[in-house]
Amino acid sequence: MQAGTSEPVQNNASSRKVLFHKLTTRYFWKDIVVNLALYLLLLDLAFVFLYPFLDMIITSLKTEEDLLDITVQWIPSKIFWQNYKIALDSLSYTSFFKNSVVVTILATVGHVLSCSCIAYGFARYRFKGSGILFGIVVLSMIVPVEVLIFPLYMMYSRLGWLNTFLPLTVPAFFGFGLRGGLFIFLFRQFFIGLPYEIEEAARIDGCGPLRTFSSIMLPMSQSSILVSIVLSLVWHWNDFFEPSMYLFKPKVSLLPARLSGIISMFNAEKVVEDYAETEIIFNEAIVMAAIFLVILPILIVYAFLQKRFMEGIERSGLTGQ
Amino acid sequence: MKKLTIEKKRRLEGILFISPWLLGVAIFFANPIIQSIRLSLSKIVKFKGFVMKWYGFGNYSKAFIWDINFVPMFLNVIKDTFINTPITLVFSLIIAMLINRSMKGQSFFRTVFFLPVLLGTGHVMKQVLGMGIGEDAMAVAKGILMPEEFMRYLGPAFTQAVDGFLGRITLILWKSGVQIIIFLAGLQGISSSLYEAAHCDGCTSWEAFWKITLPLMTPVLLLNFIYTIIDSFTDSNNPIVDYILNYGFKNNQFGYGAAMGWIFFLFIALVCGLVFAFMRKRVYNAGLKQG
Repeated sequence: MQAGTSEPVQNNASSRKVLFHKLTTRYFWKDIVVNLALYLLLLDLAFVFLYPFLDMIITSLKTEEDLLDITVQWIPSKIFWQNYKIALDSLSYTSFFKNSVVVTILATVGHVLSCSCIAYGFARYRFKGSGILFGIVVLSMIVPVEVLIFPLYMMYSRLGWLNTFLPLTVPAFFGFGLRGGLFIFLFRQFFIGLPYEIEEAARIDGCGPLRTFSSIMLPMSQSSILVSIVLSLVWHWNDFFEPSMYLFKPKVSLLPARLSGIISMFNAEKVVEDYAETEIIFNEAIVMAAIFLVILPILIVYAFLQKRFMEGIERSGLTGQ
Repeated sequence: MKKLTIEKKRRLEGILFISPWLLGVAIFFANPIIQSIRLSLSKIVKFKGFVMKWYGFGNYSKAFIWDINFVPMFLNVIKDTFINTPITLVFSLIIAMLINRSMKGQSFFRTVFFLPVLLGTGHVMKQVLGMGIGEDAMAVAKGILMPEEFMRYLGPAFTQAVDGFLGRITLILWKSGVQIIIFLAGLQGISSSLYEAAHCDGCTSWEAFWKITLPLMTPVLLLNFIYTIIDSFTDSNNPIVDYILNYGFKNNQFGYGAAMGWIFFLFIALVCGLVFAFMRKRVYNAGLKQG
């Protein structure tokens, strides 16, 4: 369905003829109409996706008066950076940013290292029970956190891991943690799509299995590694559920938890406005600024990796042709 | 040392590669599952040191008989799952196919459709929705997808149905970033020579979708289905998740929380099992079955 397939043009007269022929064929117009309709549909959908995002950025720049003025929807009368300053202060951004970065990077490294290795084992080696074991991988994807959270909490409590980053990072090094099963699955799918010949050649040349994996398979799977890195970073950075279970002392909390603190203060003030005792009164603009600040690092990282991430997605070999 | 046969050697190598996972299964999966079953059948009498007492099926019967909130909430979640999952899959497949075509602005659209994933998988999104932006965006979606004047001619019943549908759609669209990406990956894997050959034989695009795209996408569809279900069950927008955690942690009723978790899991397992059984013969080149 490509509009205007360009034919080689010899000279002016024949090109005019071709053009005339094109304009009179039914398919040409049909293509244009179909393309236009698809573009409109896409733009429409894109707007639904972009709307909350744009709204968040614009609201975060509004002054208090602009927030109350319903005629100011898209263009604030004055760009008000003060919101960001208040948000930065009340999030204590710099110190909690460090916590979030440590947890996210450790967990991501753990996921990539362990899941690629495990997935290689599942993709290339068949032994008795390997099918059942992979079934357990799928099962570990399906079992919801609600089932496991209570015993895990008890275990971490006995180990004295509560209020440390260990419960969030250590499981990732064993192929578990936040959606570990999914990463194993993705890597396995990729390795299955790779040809055997390279590994066989390596083996004949006397290359051991670990070496084959680390110096042949891993460099070939850069695209999958990148996809896993992006997804793991994003999920760990935004995760609120598990950190809120294991980290309840304010000193070790992560950015999403801080954000949730601000939001609940904002909501509480809406209910009991007379009782607002805190010196800072959070308005919607500050909350939006805080949300934006929390997701900003992820946006920056994604902006750098976006192109290669998309290429990686295209090469992930999910349909295995 | 006795020389190993090649088969034994291969087997050892395989086990070597998955050994971190085997360790992980024991510590972070199998053990918690057994503990969780035990916990769901008992009651914690002393919180310090987690001393448990056998309670039988008391926790389970409490969920169904005593707790007035659990059953309605559970039914609601089941209903939502049955409605939302197919809509998510259909829409994300459509969007993936739209942005898979070569056209101007392709990378822009791809970035846009992945934005909600970056914006926050759960909690941030919940807050953003909670602030009333959700309703605004719904109004936007409504206005664009279906002009107001058109709705006026169709009567209240229809309008209400459309409203409900569109309200869902917006929320669902925001949660389908990963599904779109997964579908896109699948679509990219289908060789274009298949479409060319079909086109030469006089196949229309419509036929090509049903005869080429869909059959080849079945493994991806299965993966996406599972992802959607898991995502919806661990989503912090899901009221039951909140409820279970609140009950468990705030009221210190770990046993009851675990029991509700198991009831919940049985439902997920049932749905996934049914889908697996249904898709088993229909999955082409099944990625999941190769193991």
